[in-house]
Formats: sequence, structure tokens, C-alpha cells
Amino acid sequence: MKLRVEHLSKAYHNHPVVNLPQATLGDHGLEGLIGPNGAGKSTLMGLLTRRLSPTTGSIWLEDEEQSHELNALKSYEVARLGLVKTNQRIQGFESLKIRDSLRLAATTHAQETLRGVLDDDPLSEELEEEIDTYLSAFSFADRDGYALSGGEKKLLDILRCLVLKPRLLLMDEPTAGLPEDVTEQVMRLVADKVKAGEMKVVIVEHDLELIWSFCEYVHFLSEGEMLFQGAPEEVKNNRVVAEKYMGV
Amino acid sequence: MSYLIFSMSLLLIYIGLAQLLHIQFGMLGIANFGVVGFWGFGMYGVGVLRVQYDFSFVDALVVTGVLMAGASYVLGRLILRLENQAVLCATIAFSSIVALLTVTEKWLTFGVVGLGTISYPIKIGWATEALYFIFLIVLVVALQFYILKLHKSRLGRLMLAIRDNEELAASLGKDTVRTKLVLFTITCSLMGVLGGLSAPLNQFLTPNMLVPGVTFAVWISLVLGGKEHPLGATIGVFVTFGFFDILIETYAPVSPGLAVMVPNLKLFLYGALLVGVLMFRPSGFLARETKGLFPDKEARP
Amino acid sequence: MWLIRDSIFIGLLQASPLILAAMGFTLIYYLNGFINFAYGESITYGAYFAALFSGAFGLGFYLSIVPAAILAGLLSVGTYLYIFRPALLRGVKPSEMIILSVGLSFMLRYGLVLFVGAENEYLSEPPIAYFNFLGVGATNLQIIALLLVLVFAFNLYWIIYRTEFGEIIRGLANNEELAMASGINPHKVSVKVWFIAGVAGGLSGIFSGVFALVNPLMGWNVILITIMVTIVAGVGSVRGALLASVVAGIITASITLISKPLYAEVVLLTAFILVLWYRGRKVV
Repeated sequence: MKLRVEHLSKAYHNHPVVNLPQATLGDHGLEGLIGPNGAGKSTLMGLLTRRLSPTTGSIWLEDEEQSHELNALKSYEVARLGLVKTNQRIQGFESLKIRDSLRLAATTHAQETLRGVLDDDPLSEELEEEIDTYLSAFSFADRDGYALSGGEKKLLDILRCLVLKPRLLLMDEPTAGLPEDVTEQVMRLVADKVKAGEMKVVIVEHDLELIWSFCEYVHFLSEGEMLFQGAPEEVKNNRVVAEKYMGV
Repeated sequence: MSYLIFSMSLLLIYIGLAQLLHIQFGMLGIANFGVVGFWGFGMYGVGVLRVQYDFSFVDALVVTGVLMAGASYVLGRLILRLENQAVLCATIAFSSIVALLTVTEKWLTFGVVGLGTISYPIKIGWATEALYFIFLIVLVVALQFYILKLHKSRLGRLMLAIRDNEELAASLGKDTVRTKLVLFTITCSLMGVLGGLSAPLNQFLTPNMLVPGVTFAVWISLVLGGKEHPLGATIGVFVTFGFFDILIETYAPVSPGLAVMVPNLKLFLYGALLVGVLMFRPSGFLARETKGLFPDKEARP
Repeated sequence: MWLIRDSIFIGLLQASPLILAAMGFTLIYYLNGFINFAYGESITYGAYFAALFSGAFGLGFYLSIVPAAILAGLLSVGTYLYIFRPALLRGVKPSEMIILSVGLSFMLRYGLVLFVGAENEYLSEPPIAYFNFLGVGATNLQIIALLLVLVFAFNLYWIIYRTEFGEIIRGLANNEELAMASGINPHKVSVKVWFIAGVAGGLSGIFSGVFALVNPLMGWNVILITIMVTIVAGVGSVRGALLASVVAGIITASITLISKPLYAEVVLLTAFILVLWYRGRKVV
């Protein structure tokens, strides 16, 4: 599953912040989206996660069989098609315990019926086991209680998305608010799933070390345009990128 | 004796309304401030169909329930995507519309003259009211049972998620609007049915029964009892309606001159109580995770 | 043609208390961001204070307006200082603030009933004179109310859009942290705003009291339409509240002229729900 943009632009007061005639995200497995501050990364992410609506152009969510115009879909339809995002800002369900929050994500809508209230068949063992694996892999202060710290909430947000088994996962600054070792652990988990062919991932991130060590393909955005795209090594060694970004 | 049965039957109706409001507001976060409108619609619906069109009681109840579901569905379609303050205002507006129509549509309701008499569905002498009372008990217990189950169910979990953060729930593939619409339609329709069931209790219907005080009494019960706890609504009604309306109004020795002030004193105290609860114990008497009847100190972070 | 002309004039004359109430209500909603049902009690108490001063103290109608309006303003400040501010500081959510305000409103209303009884009171009216006001009959009181609305509206408009204080209010409503960082004390500003709002509510109550009658439910009866007008006008727009209340008055008057007054309310309430649906902020 991938996102293809066509003549996509977003302008504020006639000043274009993003201007992409043509680009595809989600073709290469684990992809990174980087660029200097003010390059339009968060605006592009806002467009891809539909927080912002484009000034012109369109975004297409595509797989082998079908193609949908992203902005014509409802939030829940996007997720059901397989496009899921982790949130940059801390989000959560304050009255759900960690385990219930994951169960919520794992439950399909066909199971959440009025009639189902009366028969209490639990979640499938397979899913409960999967949730157990996540919970034992990461150290929560109170595994059977609520996510306490901001870091735990952020981690839970990412785990919820993984439980959903997305086909394409957008990660909006996963390192923000997470301790370094946990980020490392999360990224290894994500990379494994990508290798196993379970999903594609696009990461927007400031932390370049993380991008270089995990991503297979990098999009470099500058002044709202896709300046360069390629393998991490190529991007790193690109003279223009170095000038624009790393101040070399 | 028969007055006590009447009061207790009314108490059961209030418990039912508060339980339904618990589903709407306590679990799903829909601030329905027009409870009296749905209840009144049902009461007048059954009254009109019985008196003007000679429907049998069951038929009248079913038709009213369906009409109420239709009206709630349309209202829900209009307002359930909006933020809470707007929902609150729109539901009040709806209840005012219902109350106004009972005055203006004299050809149906006889306006301020009043509509009557609405008889019980069955007549077996002295046992009629007692049997009806038992029927209401069964109904309310069933509703309570369903709510307890709902709290442990997957649908219940989804409802809490929608209340906490609807946008996030939608981004996880949950059709939040549909869930809210279905539950709003059903619970409002049931409020209408409870209204229909109140019609024979009151026997004679007048528009001034449809005052905001009804909505307010249901809300204070829910907030006082604990809006998030499955038993909160029931406990709350026992404390408010049971204590003020039944114990004090029936048994407290007040002179007839003062007796007219008792309802006003009651509403004053309801108001004071609501302010006090919201300021000092917002979770109400039963906090969400209270085990047993006494609130535990261990609150969520 | 007569219908349009009469609707406009009757609407304006009848709407003047509503216009005052809507302007006051919108100030609080604008600044603190929640719907304050207890604002209805500023209206009721304003009317009762006027009844007290003009009747019991024998000040007469015109002289009682000033102290009654000031007392209504102080009552409004009191509810802010002792109920709403502590609740806001405790982090009570907006939807619960509304319920809190409903509770307070019931407390104040039925507290008043316990004191003065539920019977209707009448304000001692000054001598009534009838004028032919541009072809529509109007009383001297209605014209005074209308003038007062104009003066009040003009002043409020001036304060909000043309003075430093107004700038501070707008700053606080838009970005409280930023405003506080630049040395503004939100508490002091709020006290002033709640006072002004209370005075507007009190005046509204006094005039609707003298046009009809005074009873403990009068505030509750107009608060819903006041909230409607404010929301339709758009949150926190004093200009909008002014315009929307005028429009609501005219619509009510025109429907009343061709049918029954209660239908006018039904139509307005239905229109209100539709407006909410059409331009309310969607969550999902």
C-alpha cells in the first residue's frame, strides 16, 4: 500500500509551503522523510494524515487493486483500508487501561455490536497472546493499569497502531517524548515487521541517526519540494543535501 | 398505599431515565440536556394515541417508540458530529419544541386544558397498579443488567474510547458517528417508551409536566450517584427522588402552608447539591472503579 | 409591505432586552469559553432588584434602574469569584462547567422563590405615553429601552474594539498564556467583564420586567434564546451578537404577526438546530 501525490500544494497567504508535482511514499519498505526546519515536513505530514486539506492537487491511497482519493474518505475508512498513523502529540483514552486500549485496537467493528454485549466471548487467544508479547517486551510501570507517563502514552499510541496490523504506517516523530532505548526497541520491532513483509512504513523525524540506521529509502524535502530521494548512503553523500541540511 | 405505589413507580421511571442518560453521557459523552423532551414525547404520544385514536396500550407504546426513534435519528444525524456544548444546546432546543407543541397542537393534545384519562393496559381491580409496578421493576432491573454487561463488553470499551477521544478512536478504524447515532437513537427511543409508560401513572397529561425540572432531576441523580459507574444512576435516583420526593414530601410533618414551598426547597437543594458535587467530588458518590458502595481513594492518574 | 415595516419596528422594540442579554452573555462566553446558564439569573435578579428599589424603597422606576443594574453586576461577579473561578482552577471540563452553571442557576432561582414566592410581580411603571414612532405605535418606555440598547451597544462596541481594555480581553480570549506572559492579570480582567455582563443582564431583566411582568422563571425563559442568538452570531463576536439578536427579534415579530407567538418560538428553535448543524464545529 502506498500514497501517491499529484500536483499537491499547500499555501498560506499565497505562499506555498508544500509543492509536489509528483511523489510516492510507501514503495520501499521503511522510508524516512527528512528536511531542514521549515522545509514543509509537518505540513506534508498534516496533508497525508488529513489534518490539513490541500490547496490544490490530490493524494491517492493505492494498492494493487484499488485507488482511493484520500480526502474523500472518512477517518475510519482510511484506517480500515490499512493506512494508520502514530501521533506526534500525546493522545490516548484516559479511562482505558493499557491492555484494554490495545484490545480496543485489535477488535473489529463486527465484534462491537449491541447483541455481543450479552455473550461474553473473549478476544481470540491469538490476539491476547500478541498483546501479551507487546506488554512483556516493553516495561510499563503498571502493566495491568493505566499508561502513566507521557513516554508510556506515546509508546502505547505506537503499539495500538501495530496491533491494528496496518498495511502502511505513518510515524510522526516517533522519538519525540520517548526515551532513547525505547525508541531503539520500537524501531527494531517496526523494522522486523517491515522485513517480514507485514507493512510499509514512512517516518518523519528530526533524529537523523535513527533515519540512517533504520530506513531503506529517504525522501529529502527542502522548501516544500522533493529535492532528492534515494538510499540513505546516496542522500548522505549528496552535495546539495549536505549544503542544505548539514551545514557542511 | 396506592400513593406509595404511584411514587415508587415514578421512581422506577426516573431510574430508567437516569440509566439511559448514563449510557448517553456517562459512557458515550453525549450531553443530552433534553431528557424531558424525549420522555414527554413518549408520554403524550401514548396519551394521544390512546385517547384520540383508541389504540391499544401496547400498540400505542410501540408506535410511539418507533416515532421517537425516527425523530431521534434525525436529530442525531444533525447534531452528533458536533462538539458537546452544541449537542447540549440542540437537545434543550428539541425539548422546548416538544413542550411548545403540546401547547399549540390543541387538536391532538387539548393544549393547556389537558389530555385524559389514560387508563392502564390491563384492569384487575386493586391489583392493577401493583402489577404495573412489578412490571416496571422487571424492566428497570433488565436495563440495569444490560448496563452492567455493557461495561464489560467490547461495545462498552468502544463507547468509553469515543467519550475520551473520538478523533483517535476514528483513526483506529472505529465508525464513531455511526456508533453514537445507533446508541443515541435507541436510548432516546427508550426514554420515549419510559414516557409512554408514565402516561397511565399520571393519567391526566398537561403541558406543564414538561418542565426543565424533569431533565434537571435526572441529571442531578446521575451526577450525584456517579456518572461513570454502572450503578451510579440507580443509587443517585434513590438518593434524590427517593429521599426528597418520597420520604420528605410524603412523610415529613410540614404544615399545609409550608408544603407548597417544599418542591421549591427541593429544587434549591438539588441545585446546591449539584454545585457542591461538581466542585468537590466531580466523580459523584460512586467513582468509576468503585468496588462495593464506598468510593475508593485510588483514582486514575 | 406593512408586514416588513411592522416586523422590523416591533421586532426591534421587543428585542431590546434580548439584545442587551445577548451582548452580556457573549462577553462571558468569549472570555471564559463556557455556556453560563446562571447568566439567566442576572436577568431575573436585575428585575427583582428594580422591583425592590422602585416598590419597597419608593425610588420610582427610573431611579431604581442604576442601583438594580449595579447589584446585578455584583451578583455576576460573585458567581464568578466563588463558583466559576474556583471550578476553572480545579480543571473542571467545559461540558461539566455548563452543568455546574445549570446547578447554580437552579440554586439561585429557587432560592429566590423561597424568599419572595413564585407569584408574579409588577414593576411600578412610570406614566406611559404613546407615540407614533415612524408609523408604529410605541410607548415612551419602549423607546427609552431602545435608546438604552443603542447607548449600551455603542459603548460595548467601543470598549471591545477601540480601547486598550478591549484589546486585553480579545488577547485573553485568543491566547491566555501569551496574554499572561505580557503581564496581563486575567483575574482582574475577568472580574470587570463579569461585572459588565451582569449589568447588561440586569438591564435586560429590568426592561423585560417593565414591559410584561417579573417572576422567578423570567431569566430561565430567555436564557435559551439568548444562548441561541449568541451561538448563531458566532462565539465572542459582540457585533455578531448584536446583529443576531436584532434578526431574531424581527423574525419572532414577523412570525407572531402572521401566526401564534408560540409557533414563532418553535420555528426559531428549529432554525437554531439547523444552524448548529450547518455551521457547528465538527469533531470528526
